[in-house]
Amino acid sequence: MKIIAIAFNTFKEAIRDRILYLLFFFAAISIIFSRVLALLTVGDRIKIIRDVGLASLSFFGVLMAILIGTGLVYKEIDKKTIYSLLSKPINRYQFLLGKFFGLIFTLFIMLLLMSFIYLVLVFFHTFEIEWETFPTIFFIFLELCLITAVAIFFSCFSTPILSSVFSLAFYIIGHFSWGLETLINKIKPGVGKTLVQILYIFIPDLENFNFKTEIVHNLPIPSHVYLFSISYGIFYTLFILLLAMLVFRRRDFI
Amino acid sequence: MGLKVKIDRMPRKKIPGSSIIYLPSGKYLKYAASGYSSLLADIIYLWSIQYYSDYNISDRFDYLDHIFSIIAELDPHYLDPYEIGAIIAVYEAKNFDKAFKILDRGLEKNPDEWIFPFQAGHYAQMIKKDYELAQKYYKKAMEIKGSPALIQRLYANAAFKATDFQTAWKNWVEIYQTAKDERIKKIASNHLYQVKAAIDIQAIEGAIKRHIEHYGHNPLNLAQLVREGMLNSLPQDLDGKDYVYDPDTGKVKSATIPWKR
Repeated sequence: MKIIAIAFNTFKEAIRDRILYLLFFFAAISIIFSRVLALLTVGDRIKIIRDVGLASLSFFGVLMAILIGTGLVYKEIDKKTIYSLLSKPINRYQFLLGKFFGLIFTLFIMLLLMSFIYLVLVFFHTFEIEWETFPTIFFIFLELCLITAVAIFFSCFSTPILSSVFSLAFYIIGHFSWGLETLINKIKPGVGKTLVQILYIFIPDLENFNFKTEIVHNLPIPSHVYLFSISYGIFYTLFILLLAMLVFRRRDFI
Repeated sequence: MGLKVKIDRMPRKKIPGSSIIYLPSGKYLKYAASGYSSLLADIIYLWSIQYYSDYNISDRFDYLDHIFSIIAELDPHYLDPYEIGAIIAVYEAKNFDKAFKILDRGLEKNPDEWIFPFQAGHYAQMIKKDYELAQKYYKKAMEIKGSPALIQRLYANAAFKATDFQTAWKNWVEIYQTAKDERIKKIASNHLYQVKAAIDIQAIEGAIKRHIEHYGHNPLNLAQLVREGMLNSLPQDLDGKDYVYDPDTGKVKSATIPWKR
């Protein structure tokens, strides 16, 4: 109940943030702009619209998660409102979870609105609702959940600017990690290779949530891939949240 | 605003093709794309269309394969760039090797797409006039599940043009026997007429050549070749008609034009 109350307040706070609307505005422009880009192509126009549209959903969603998420805890500490909050019978983990779910709900609403614009645009081209896009949007949301957890984790001990940089780095590394596979194959056996292998296991693989290309090309995706990706997303998010709770529990506000 | 317009109108020297010198390979770009490789492929493809529409860049075709290999690496299932790349290579760059390379890559990355060997076969047959190569590509296309029946007809025709009459005959017979409508049956029949005529005329002209080598002049008629043992029997066309022989020129032709049967 306490978590829900904090989440609701976080949601109310997030939707008052101007940056959210700014990003939403750019996302909408970007999705609509895909129509203009499609005019420049020779061949399948809808492919361009799908690619640009889905990339916009993902990119601006991540920006929202990072830019709002990194400020959530810090703002409370900076404005000293955290004292009045934590003096009440609220556990620190409840506070963090409330913040997390509040932002997740905000992102869900934003993703819903952006998806609506995207689907309407696609509808005007194909005259059908592309139901097969929904799993992609769901995985974008799952990725946003993880990024939000990461942003909150960093905001527990760092300033918003540094937290944003760290979260963005996490996002980029997460999409680079599959390149480590190539590196492992090229490195000669030894300490270096073992280190890279260990790094490969720990570094997040955000490509597990990237089904944009498959959906755009109507490629079949085995159901067990979906299942494993969902599990991976949930467990990694829980792991980061757990880390955030541990850091936040030890945090001294004086 | 006025200044901007003014600056834009000022002529500045540019190095032709310099805009793509720094374009890295697709493999590395894929790493840099951070999950947006498909979008990056779109952007490079859109840019390449503009780039190849600029006739001021004289050496723009030098990088054709590089650019389209990047797109293929970023989004291997994006089919349009392979087709457009090949079109640019054939019609603009007049470089068949580049076109075949792009289309081969398309097939390599998309083994279920018959369109790539089909297009390569089409360019080999219609523009390069390399019928053996066309045969090779059409054969690849035919073997792909879901390829249209038309490809076997093109394959048989390419075999005929490559003077591989046995393959041409075998395929046209198969097309004739499996044809579901009368129009295709008629087309196959006309081609069978043409192939048989080509085989027969080749044999008759061989006999005429031997006759000339022996007697020093053209035979008076074709029956003379049978009498002299240079032909076992006088062949007839598919409709049972005799071939037309001109003793003055020594040329033999079928009694009917295949398409007017």
